[in-house]
Amino acid sequence: MATSTYLSNPGVMVNSVSLTDQCTAATVTNMAEALESTAFGSTSRVFVAGLYNQEITLDLYMSYAATETYATLAALVGTTTTVKVSNTVAGLTTPSATEPCFTLTGAYLEALPVINATMGELSTISITFKGGVLTTAVS
Amino acid sequence: MKYTIISDKIGTVGAEFVPGAGTNIEALLAHGFIKSDEKPSDSPAPKSAKTKAHTKKD
Repeated sequence: MATSTYLSNPGVMVNSVSLTDQCTAATVTNMAEALESTAFGSTSRVFVAGLYNQEITLDLYMSYAATETYATLAALVGTTTTVKVSNTVAGLTTPSATEPCFTLTGAYLEALPVINATMGELSTISITFKGGVLTTAVS
Repeated sequence: MKYTIISDKIGTVGAEFVPGAGTNIEALLAHGFIKSDEKPSDSPAPKSAKTKAHTKKD
């Protein structure tokens, strides 16, 4: 049985800025769009790969302090940037087979919730970077 | 153009910042993560080009 339990190790970097200390969840999705190629004579649906469509979703604590969450992301809305995620902080700079670094270059930030306020709770936001080219570094 | 790190969120303060592929430099400059080492020019701003007013000919 193989499991991965994340306690405090994963590293997240957006536009060269470390947001590891603000991030509570990260999902990197490598997707190739499915194009149906089912034809007469087929008895099951058949698909072939279309365009790759990558996504990185991050859950972050919102902070308006200098060089924190808001300062990092505000100017990125409507632009593309580079996002790095690794299962360890060390993997961001020195990736290895057990600490791969996933880099999405040309990632587009469509939307940024600038306020998500609830009484008595720490403010959190969820953002999604779309598109770009995903590379995996293992050395 | 050279950039210097002024926030420890992206590296050692005072060290040179070498942007990687796809880095949005303007965002980092605008929000105080790095500063540009380029000095502002002392020469006056160039004058705008003169344009002739269009006159309607009959």
